[in-house]
Order: sequence, then structure tokens, then C-alpha cells
Amino acid sequence: MNEMVKINVNGIEIQADNNKLLIEACEDSGIHIPRFCWHKRLDPVGMCRMCLVEVDTPRGKALVPSCTTKVTPNLVVDTESEVVKKAQEGVLEFLLINHPLDCPICDKAGECPLQDQTVSYGPGESRFVEEKRHFEKPISISEIILLDRERCILCARCTRFSDEISGDPLIEFVQRGNKTEVNTFPNEPFRSYFSGNTVQICPVGALTSTSYRFKARPWDLKATTSTCNGCTVGCTVELNASQNKMLRILGVDNDSVNQGWLCDKGRYNFEFLNNQSRLKESLEKVNEKFEIISNKDLINKLKNKILNNENKVKFLLGTNLTNEEYAAFNEFSALISKSKSDFYLSDDYLFNGYFEKNISLATFNNLDTADTIVIWSEDIKENLPILYLRVRQAVKNGTKLIILGHNNSTLKDIASDFYSSDIIDENFELKVQPENLKNLKDAVIGKNVTAIIGKSSPYQNKKSLDLLVSFLNENSNLSLLNSFSKGNSFGAFQNLDSVKGLPDLCKDFEEDLPEVLFIVGADPIGSSVLTNKITSILEKINCIVSLDLFIHQTNELANYVVPMNSTVSEKEGTFTNIEFRSSKINKITPSPGKALSENEFLSNLLSSLGKSTDFLSVHELNTKVAENNFNQVNKITFDELDKPSNFDGIISGKEVNINCTFFIEDKSLYYVGRKLYGDSVTQRNSQSISILGSKKYIQANLSTIKTLDLEAGKCYIEQNGLKLSSELIINENIPDGLIYFPINRRNFVKYNFAEKINISNISNEDILSVQ
Amino acid sequence: MSWDKKLINQANKIIKQYPQKRSALGPLLHLAQSKDGYISDDSIEVISELIGITEVQVKSVSTFYSMYKQEPTGKYLISVCKSISCEISNSSDVIKKVQEITGLNNNETDEEGIFTFEKVECIGACGGAPAIQINYETVEGMTPESTESLFNWLKENQPKVIVADILQEKFGGTRSFEWGIKDNSGTIASVPGFQNFNTVGESK
Repeated sequence: MNEMVKINVNGIEIQADNNKLLIEACEDSGIHIPRFCWHKRLDPVGMCRMCLVEVDTPRGKALVPSCTTKVTPNLVVDTESEVVKKAQEGVLEFLLINHPLDCPICDKAGECPLQDQTVSYGPGESRFVEEKRHFEKPISISEIILLDRERCILCARCTRFSDEISGDPLIEFVQRGNKTEVNTFPNEPFRSYFSGNTVQICPVGALTSTSYRFKARPWDLKATTSTCNGCTVGCTVELNASQNKMLRILGVDNDSVNQGWLCDKGRYNFEFLNNQSRLKESLEKVNEKFEIISNKDLINKLKNKILNNENKVKFLLGTNLTNEEYAAFNEFSALISKSKSDFYLSDDYLFNGYFEKNISLATFNNLDTADTIVIWSEDIKENLPILYLRVRQAVKNGTKLIILGHNNSTLKDIASDFYSSDIIDENFELKVQPENLKNLKDAVIGKNVTAIIGKSSPYQNKKSLDLLVSFLNENSNLSLLNSFSKGNSFGAFQNLDSVKGLPDLCKDFEEDLPEVLFIVGADPIGSSVLTNKITSILEKINCIVSLDLFIHQTNELANYVVPMNSTVSEKEGTFTNIEFRSSKINKITPSPGKALSENEFLSNLLSSLGKSTDFLSVHELNTKVAENNFNQVNKITFDELDKPSNFDGIISGKEVNINCTFFIEDKSLYYVGRKLYGDSVTQRNSQSISILGSKKYIQANLSTIKTLDLEAGKCYIEQNGLKLSSELIINENIPDGLIYFPINRRNFVKYNFAEKINISNISNEDILSVQ
Repeated sequence: MSWDKKLINQANKIIKQYPQKRSALGPLLHLAQSKDGYISDDSIEVISELIGITEVQVKSVSTFYSMYKQEPTGKYLISVCKSISCEISNSSDVIKKVQEITGLNNNETDEEGIFTFEKVECIGACGGAPAIQINYETVEGMTPESTESLFNWLKENQPKVIVADILQEKFGGTRSFEWGIKDNSGTIASVPGFQNFNTVGESK
């Protein structure tokens, strides 16, 4: 067990955790030992020998690597002795034998551990006069990662990360001795959702990303800590900008959340900020065409629309707003209309969730202490990637994992039970009562269970989820994560008086069409399976005002389009994640063109309406958000969140206002899901990752493909006159008889999945004629 | 899959001997080598699927060990020892001779695909240094002259099975010690002779 023991480092007595490695214990006491291969979040390998220190042994002093030596009571360590210095100089001289001295053209220079440590601990000169290693440079090991092999010092951080943490070891050392290099298998690129982390932890400039390569020097970068709003995990990030342009996002080690890691979408889906096609001026539709309109004229026009239709103004919101902006919309709607307004959130997977008082809310750290993790939700690797890493980590440390549903098949290998099509039918209904699942029962009854529960598909009825949750709640010590995965959904639930989903929007608007509809940062036509219905409804609305970053399928129908600031780096606010942990979103780049933040726009509009506005500034709004919040002990004000003691964020309580009453009633004939990369408007405009979400494909297992008399390869998908060419890919994890559609591909949502979709192979002649 | 049923069955048999599938990697690579004479990318794909690790992990192991060949070798793999005992017993003359006869540099194969030449570290025959291996069958006490006649014999006869004892009798010099087991089966390809992988010659 952990116990503090006395050790002596450089003649000073320090208290150290006897379970820790020497290098970490020294670090905790402020004694830095140089290192390349050792990383706090990876298993030690003792590869680079840079962390050699002298310890007293019964046979006298000995050099040991401090990254593989554990603290023992009364250990006497010298980290600065002559012998250690000589060893460090030797190691560095060896490392620099083959490492090119191309720092002036290397992206890492300025923040390079090898460069820094050579200055601090290096020999100053080299005796090596021979030719260094040469490699073709750089090679691309995936669409977004480049590798300069001659710079590599073989620390194995990247290969260990991909093996231990992300579980997709597609890079490894090949060859040996002085020919050793990191590489992929031919035609098997490093297509990992987490590949960007290897670039970040590379201690030299060997791994670089296409996104940042040659874009800036580290000493030119401005930096601020912020929160990623890509999914509901809310990773802590560092934003890097130079000359008012966002250039890079780095993961920050927040022990409670992302532990330093980021998914590649969170890391690279910011390039759209600098995209030329971003909206910079307000637009008005005149004769079916958008024309530029000044903000002042726009406000005037909107003012009249709103004054004439006070109770007929509705809001369809996206999930990428800050808590403060949700609060602003809430206030705005209360001020302009006499009755309480509903807000529609653009997320197909929305339902009322499990927020009852008798169900306790989980944090990510519960995953580590739980006996069993139960998952029944949409694919967490695709939609909550860092939660996926946390689950993997927990399972690695001995937690049992039980998965229900056909999703999450990437966790199948480490799950003790994977209940798929035997137990659960094609519409995600349980065929068996949960208490009849013996392994589930054994792993749950009387145990600490953390469950990740959410809809597996937009079409899933929550009846079976209810069964499972009540079974778990009755029989175990349950803590639960409601796996809504989109952006700041939880901030919306907390700060809007009433949140509804898109099925509600369809039903409500069919009965009572609004006169004015605000669509804020949402593209339901491009992303919802209800797209056909929503299109026909939106077409009937007289005045649609869209606040957004780009023109997309939804706001093409709008009458007014207002450019907005992006939550990634252009505004300040707070974010609430899936654990109800609130953290700060910070601004580092200015607004593009005449873009406003939502609250600026709203307060302009309100003052034109002659209403008093008490939320002119984001700080005032934040005070309001903090006041309304459940957690009154630790208020989520900017000041509180900026305190170092609240670095991990503040858990802010679980009062939510989701009032979904309607759901998609159709039964889907197909298995649909969202992939990490998709055809979203932001990703499409982020150059380096745009290609990753554009490929159209469907998947099925081999026997299904054979039954349908098809072959893997190019195919047409056809229904009601919509014919798309796609690829049919074999995936043995898809249950028999089901065809999987990733619905975030261009136009895929336009298919009606409740009706038959024709799939036919494209013959070779067709392919030729297409070419 | 580019492996036939027989080979797959054999692979599965090997895999069954280990508590974890991935532990079978080493023997499976030998099996792959017995098929092609080297580790082909196709075989790597098959192995990766059989034992559930990624291709590059298989590649990593197969490129680490020098006895897993990455390229096709000739009919005869000539391994000449360059470690210390052989070196002080003039292995460099033997190496020079081999290179003179074959015209090959280290790790090269001739165009006809007959000889592959490699310099290797200790092959465990220090007592009979300098030593040389033909398809992993060891001959001890070589001289440049005996090397020449060995090559002439190989070229002339192109024997299918290489047997250490026969080579030793014909061309060898001092032996380190009397080998306990008579090795009469030899190898049939430029890979180590394993009974399991059908790479040993028929016993006489």
C-alpha cells in the first residue's frame, strides 16, 4: 500500500511515496531528473538512459535508471554527482550521434526536450565525425501524421502510447540496432483516433502533424488553457495562436478528465476558424440569394419581426454554445415572449436520460474505483473518445467491463462480456430480462458499478434502457454517466428552462408553426435522421434567423444569417461536461469580420426592442449562471474556475431540464451510428482532417453480404430517387442481417431507414465509365 | 488468405500449445519462413490475423531477429562466422574467399538465386574455428582452400539436402568436439531445419 517513506536525495531528506518510481518521487519534491522515454502516463521502459542517478547499494554507489527504480525506505540518491553528469553527457553524446542538428528548420525547436536537455546536461561538443543516418524525409504514416525518422531517438513513447493507451498499435519499431526505426506496416497507415498525442509526447521533432508543420515557432505562440467543446468529455486543452490565428491545440494533463490526451478531432478540428469561407458579414436573403446587410439594419428588421410575433418566436440550438450563451438565450426568450418557451436541441440521441434523485451521478474517476463498468450507449470510441481511453485504462487496472448493444465492438477484446445480437434485437431492445443474464448479474449484484447509459441509435426506444438502469440501481451501488455526447449538451440542460429534441420540434411545429425561428449553430438538415421532415417544416417558416459560422444545408433556408464567434477560441465562458464538471472556455483569437458572440447579438437585439438587458457582458452572464447553479459551495464563476485549486473543474450538480415527450416512432431496418469523423460543416472546412470524414461507406458482415447477394466493394445505395455511390465494407462485428450506416456522411441522413434501401454492386464496366 | 489449409492447420496446432495466442509468434514466423524462405508481407498479414496482433507488431519481431529473413534468400545460405574465435583463426580469409567466389557482399543474393552470403556472429563452433554454415548446417575448421572446394562441390552437385556431417567429412578440418548426436537429416531449404515445420531432410 502507499506509504510515505524517507529518502535522501542530493543530501536533502524528502518524503516519498513508496509506491512511486524514483523519477516521479523526485519530481514531486521539485527535483528534476532529465528524461526522454519516461512519461507519467505510460509504463516505464528504461529505454533512453537519460535519467541515470547514483544510488547507494550494499556494494557501493551504482548508476540506476530512476524511471525503473522504485522508492525504498532510506534510499540515498544523488542526481547531480560527477558520475551522473558524466553519464548524462555520455547519453546525450550518443543520442546526438545520429540526431540531425537541423533545429533551425525543425518544428520542435524551442520546445524540444532534446534541445533543452542538451543545453542543460549535454557535453557541449561531439567527437563524432562520421556520417549520420539518413532516411527519406518525411514519410506520412497517416493522413495527418508525418515522420522524420532520422530525428527519432527511439524513446518508444509513441509506440507505447499506441499500444498501452489507445490500443491500436499500428506503429512499432522495425529492424534493429542502428537500423531501428519507427514505422507502420506497408499499406496499413497509423489511422488512430488518438494519433495526435504521439506528436505531442514525441521528445524530438520526429513526429509532426500536417496541421502544424512549418506553421509557427513555439516562441511566437500565445497560449491559453481552455476546454474542448467537441464532445461532452470536455478535455482540458491549451490553445496556441500566433498573429491572431489559431494554430494548434495541445492536451493538458487534467487528472480527473483527459489525463493529457486528446482525440484527433478535438486536436485538429479547429482549422475551420481560419477558413476563407467563414461567415464574416450578416446576410439577408433577397430573391433567393444572400446579400450583405449591416448588423444595424439586420437588428432593425428582426426587431419588427419579433415585435409582431411575440409568442411565435422559437429557438433551435446547437450544442456548441457556452453555458453563458444558453443562459442568455433563456433570458432572451423570457423577455420577448409572455409564455415560457421551449428550446429544441439539435441532437438525434436526446431523450430524458437518467437524472432522477435516486440515481447517483458518476465521474470519470468512478470508472477507476468501480468493480464493474456497464456500457449501453452509442459507440463511445466514436463519440466520447477520451471516455473510451478512461474505460480502457480502468479495465487495464482490473475493472470488469460488460457491454450491451452492438456498439462499442472495439472494446470487445477487453470486455468480459459483450451482449450483442443474441441478447439484443436489431432495434436495441432486450430479448432477455437483465436479471436473467447470469454474467451480468454476477458482476453487478452488491458491487460498485459505473454505468455509461444512452441511446445506441436515434431509433432506440428507451424501455430496455429503463429495465437495465432500474436493475442496476436496485442491485448494485450504481453511479451513472448519461452518455449524451454532443458538445456542451449538459450546459444546455442546466441553463435552459426546457430542452426538447428534434422529434418534439417536428410535432410541435406541425401543430403550431412559429413565425420566427432562431437556429443557432445547428445543422439538423445535414445531420438529423429527421432531415426530410425538418426540411419541409423549415420551408414553411416565414422568418428563419441563423446564427452560425458557415453556410450549410440548414441555413440555406434561412432569411437572415448572422456570423458568430466560435466557441473553440473566440469567446470566454464556461462548459459543463458529462460529469457536470464545469470548466473554463477561454478566448485567444479575435472575432472574424463582423462576427459577434451570441450574447452581444442578443443584447443588441433586446435593447432595440426596448427591453432592459442585464446581461450585456459575459461576466455578468457568468455570475448569473453561477447563481443559478446547483452547487452553491463552489460557484462556477470565472474567478473560482481560474484558481489553481480548481484546475480540474468544479462539479456543479445535476439539475437538468430535459422535457422530451416525442420520440422517433419508426423502427429502423438498418443499424445506424455516428462516427468520430464526419461530414460536419466544421470538419469539412478543416483542411487536414476534412478528408477523414468524407469517404462514404456502409458495413456488414460477410454472411450478410452473401445473403444479400452482394460483394464487398463499390456499390450504389438507392431509395426514393436518391442514389449515392458508396463502398460496402466487411466488418465482422456487425450482427448478422444488419447493414451499418454511418449517418454523418454526406446525405446519408436523407435515407429513410425505416424503409427498404436498395443496395447494388457497381459493376466493373460502370466503374470504368464513371472514370 | 495466402496460406493453404494445411499450413493454417499447422499454425493452429502451434497456437494451441500456448496459453496466449500471441506467444506463438516466433514459431509461426518460422512456419512462414518454411513456406517462402523468408517472411513475406502476405505471411505477416496471415499471422497477424491468426494471433490477433497488428501487422506491424509482427513485422517488428520479424525484423528484429536476423534469422527471420526479410528478403528471399538463394538456394544456399552461406553464413560465415566473424566472431572472435573464428577471426583469430583467420575467418577473414575464408570470408574473402567466399566473396571472391560468389562476388557477393554481406547480405546479398546472386542473380541466379543460388547463393546468399552473410557474415554472422558466433555460431557456437569456437573450438573448430573458423566455421561456416550452409543452410544452417555447420562445417568447422575451414580454410580458404577447403572453402573453394566446398563451393565447387555445391555448384556442381546442387544437393537438395544439406547435411552437416557429410560436409564436415568432405571439407571440414578440426572439429570442436565429437557431436553427440549424429546429424544425418540435414535441411532442405535455406531455413533452419525443424522437424515441426518439415524443413529437415529425410534421414538416411
